[in-house]
Amino acid sequence: MAVLADARPAQRQPAPPGRARVSRWHRLDLTVSPYLYVAPFFVIFGVFGLFPLLYTGYLSLSGWREDQDGSRGTFVGLANYTRLLHDQFFWNALKNTIGIGIISTVPQLMLALGLAHLLNYRLRGRTFFRMSVLVPNVTSVAAVTIIFVQLFGRDYGLINYVLHLFGVSRIDWQAGTWSSWLAISLIVTWRWTGYNALIYLASMQAVPFELYESAALDGAGRWRQFRSITIPMLRPTILFTVIVSTIGALQLFGEPLLFNVSQTPAAGGSQHQFQVMAVYTYQTFLGNGKYGYGSAISWAMFLVIVVIVGINLTLVRRLRGVEGA
Amino acid sequence: MRFALRRAAALAGAGLLLAGPALAGCGKSSGSSPAPAGTEPVTLTVNLFGDFDYKPLYEQYKQTHPNITVKENITDYDTHHKNLKQHLTAGAGLADIEVIEIGQIAGFQGQASKFVNFLDQGVDPSTWTDQRVKDASSADGKVLFGLGTDTGGLAMCYRPSLMKKAGLPTDPAALSAQMKTWDDFVNLGKTFQTKIGDRNVHWFDAASNVFNAIVAQAPQGMYDASGNVIADTNPDVKKAWDQTVAAIQAGESAGLAAFTPQWNTGFQKAGFATITCPAWMMSYIKANAPDTKGDWNVATIPGTGGGNWGGSYLTIPRSGKHVQQAIELAKWLAAPEQQTLLFKTKGHFPAAQALWKTDDIINFKDDFFDNAPVGKIFSAAAENIKYQPLGAHAGEFGNAIGNALVSIEQGKATPDAAWQKAVADIKNIAG
Amino acid sequence: MKSRTHQLSAGRGTYVLLGAVVLVSLFPLYWSVVAASNDQAGISKSPPDLVPGTHLLDNLRRMLDLVDMRKALVNSFVVSATVTVSVVLTATLAGFALAKLRFRGRHALLAVIVATMMVPTQLGIIPLYLMMAKWFGWVDQLQALILPGAVTAFGVFFMRQYLVTALPTELIEAARVDGCSTLRTYWNVVLPVARPAAAVLGMLTFMNTWNDFYWPLLVLTPQNPTVQVALSSLAGGYVTDYPLVLAGALVGIVPILIVFAVLGRQILDGIMQGALKA
Repeated sequence: MAVLADARPAQRQPAPPGRARVSRWHRLDLTVSPYLYVAPFFVIFGVFGLFPLLYTGYLSLSGWREDQDGSRGTFVGLANYTRLLHDQFFWNALKNTIGIGIISTVPQLMLALGLAHLLNYRLRGRTFFRMSVLVPNVTSVAAVTIIFVQLFGRDYGLINYVLHLFGVSRIDWQAGTWSSWLAISLIVTWRWTGYNALIYLASMQAVPFELYESAALDGAGRWRQFRSITIPMLRPTILFTVIVSTIGALQLFGEPLLFNVSQTPAAGGSQHQFQVMAVYTYQTFLGNGKYGYGSAISWAMFLVIVVIVGINLTLVRRLRGVEGA
Repeated sequence: MRFALRRAAALAGAGLLLAGPALAGCGKSSGSSPAPAGTEPVTLTVNLFGDFDYKPLYEQYKQTHPNITVKENITDYDTHHKNLKQHLTAGAGLADIEVIEIGQIAGFQGQASKFVNFLDQGVDPSTWTDQRVKDASSADGKVLFGLGTDTGGLAMCYRPSLMKKAGLPTDPAALSAQMKTWDDFVNLGKTFQTKIGDRNVHWFDAASNVFNAIVAQAPQGMYDASGNVIADTNPDVKKAWDQTVAAIQAGESAGLAAFTPQWNTGFQKAGFATITCPAWMMSYIKANAPDTKGDWNVATIPGTGGGNWGGSYLTIPRSGKHVQQAIELAKWLAAPEQQTLLFKTKGHFPAAQALWKTDDIINFKDDFFDNAPVGKIFSAAAENIKYQPLGAHAGEFGNAIGNALVSIEQGKATPDAAWQKAVADIKNIAG
Repeated sequence: MKSRTHQLSAGRGTYVLLGAVVLVSLFPLYWSVVAASNDQAGISKSPPDLVPGTHLLDNLRRMLDLVDMRKALVNSFVVSATVTVSVVLTATLAGFALAKLRFRGRHALLAVIVATMMVPTQLGIIPLYLMMAKWFGWVDQLQALILPGAVTAFGVFFMRQYLVTALPTELIEAARVDGCSTLRTYWNVVLPVARPAAAVLGMLTFMNTWNDFYWPLLVLTPQNPTVQVALSSLAGGYVTDYPLVLAGALVGIVPILIVFAVLGRQILDGIMQGALKA
């Protein structure tokens, strides 16, 4: 993961030779304390994050399922993983996750960047604007999705009513593949664009103003300034948001679950057309009570995320190579 | 806040202020809680998946048991049963009383030992039909872990105003006579669709409800008597599927999947003429579409007249803090007086079979349903329910087929493709 | 505000665009007010009403009868505040170490942290639940939410990425030359510089914790709920009573909006000042 060193520490030289009276303490401080500073994270994460993770790995090798008494301790080797390779529902969930992920994340980050740029201007009422764009993220997934389900209602939803005014016939948003993907992506985009915009904004504040001034003197327009100053300076932050959003998209759970207003929310639609990976895991684990197999799906999901984030990192780095020129 | 203080006081009194919650969380039996002296204040928790209309009953119970306060929590059907499974697995987080729906009960048979055995508590199993008892018992029949509350024997609720518009009989007996079989029902639907001449009004609400009712009358549904999955091979299931698909293709379904907001609106706006109707559906209709009072009536269900949809059990996890008090409350809630009252005031038809013959029930008519003799109708429906083997995933199979029917209704799949999909789903759930 | 001189001023087009964004951002919330102040029949009309109805108080009263919202609000606040303080402190500390201190294995540790962000929440949830139930006895207790949330890989990565560019290495070197220990440097130099990012991280953490619903729904019971758990009890039942649920949702949102209204300006000003120092 040397990739992450792209925002490399600016500290290139060893500390200047210390004065004798402080040097020993200093050296100890420099060698030991960094570990102490990262320790709280690793200790707490180890107990509440890593251990359960490994335990799930152990469960994924077992045949434990609720409907078979005494299956809890049974060891089945990699059988759950072989099954997974032929599980059409898993592949379907993967397809849905990636599809929804792309149409929810790509426009979202672009919008966020543009929005941050707008917010970075000297504005009257800037607090109001900044707070307003974060409001969608303040509200809970549960509340938001319930509101959107209402807006997307087939018969009495506001969105269909407005479309109807433009001559579009009623859409059953949950029924189709594309319509459901679009609706879910809209909820995700609505909720997260402002969040990402603020992250970009925080970084934009750190861009030295002189760069813009001299660019302006050179006759660069605002769009050009945005492209050749803002974006390059924001690169570490962009990388950060791409990674975080990709992970978020691949773990998408609440929106598709609650978007399905039927009695079987975890089915992800009448033909599983919007059943994403996390929801399929949930369904297998808690709905069907297959603890062993559900654990295997969880682990597979983890691997998928690692692979896709890896691909993304490579792509974003490529992009940097091109644009940085 | 009053509740929290009271609970804290009770625990402090027992010297358990700190250890109390931890003990409760470790699945210790009731042995560690103070002896049920019957005087110290106790708060019992009840977890439900829908409104069982118990609230007035708790008040009544408090008059004879002033120290018992009942707090109920309602979560949706899906979450309720998922959480219950998980809490049982972990042995923590359970309420004093947990209800389980009939479609889910078989999935808990393997965990019967984690619940109070009502056979040890002086409960007479002959209160219920053999099937109801078997469904809530361990495999060897030695543990009865659920008290049947209500039962879902099927009738057919309909809208007289729509029947009249379509020139069909508005009188229940005459209407029943025209739909003796399910094929009759589908054919009558064709007539209805032609005559009603309104594309927003349909013969029935949802194909899955019709399908479920047809299958519920078969001797076997999703499982055979030895517990094998036959959902994908049972000819009765396929036949019900074909009949339902024919009805969808004739445009008879309003395509309002059960328990969706659209479905609710369908009741309010008279979007469909008939709905398969267990007694609890009356309570649902009253709560959901109060303005439609009087424009409902109840006919007999087509086919063999049997079939069941819904109904629940009260169960008591042994890890609870107040097991003894919970047993008393559960037994009281399931007692004849309360069951009769719940039927007459709210429409939950009792599971206790002796009640089906009492005058109180038989003679009950409901003015919301145009004074239909609902007592008589649902007693007959309950008598007609025949034994059908249940299995751990019966409910999920039904849902999978239901979703496949929905995809046809939505125009997103051909019947063949939808059936293939349902079969794949069934194999995936069972395998 | 000194920062003004350092920014381009906005044109009219900017205001129009931002105005549109604000409308889109706020409309669904406005809609929830409309729905929460109507009755069931009122929200199933075509065309739908666009102005609030008269049933808000009625819906609120029904909602308060059903759930212990006061306790839920207190619980949510305790959990969110504790988690926020903890996440911000641990993240700035670790982020500082990873961004600016040289020590063996820092690249590997950072990679591990980023890798842990990819762990799906659902992955460890059953074992985590079993731990809480069997080992700690924390089912239905707030610790069960606080401790697993007390550190986030996201936070560490976020602060690290920020400090790499925003914290001038010269400042640290100057502090070192003055004989400051790294902890002192953290306190005197890093924290002030980290303030804008810490404010953003704190805000986001607070909101995410406040809104988390999957894990709380599992480990808490409605006897000791957070706001989201209380909301889910409202959404239960056969008939989803939208006016009722959205009335509850509004009550859950209002405290956050208040925190926002009170602190938002300072947080946002913090972003400005931090920018100057950087």
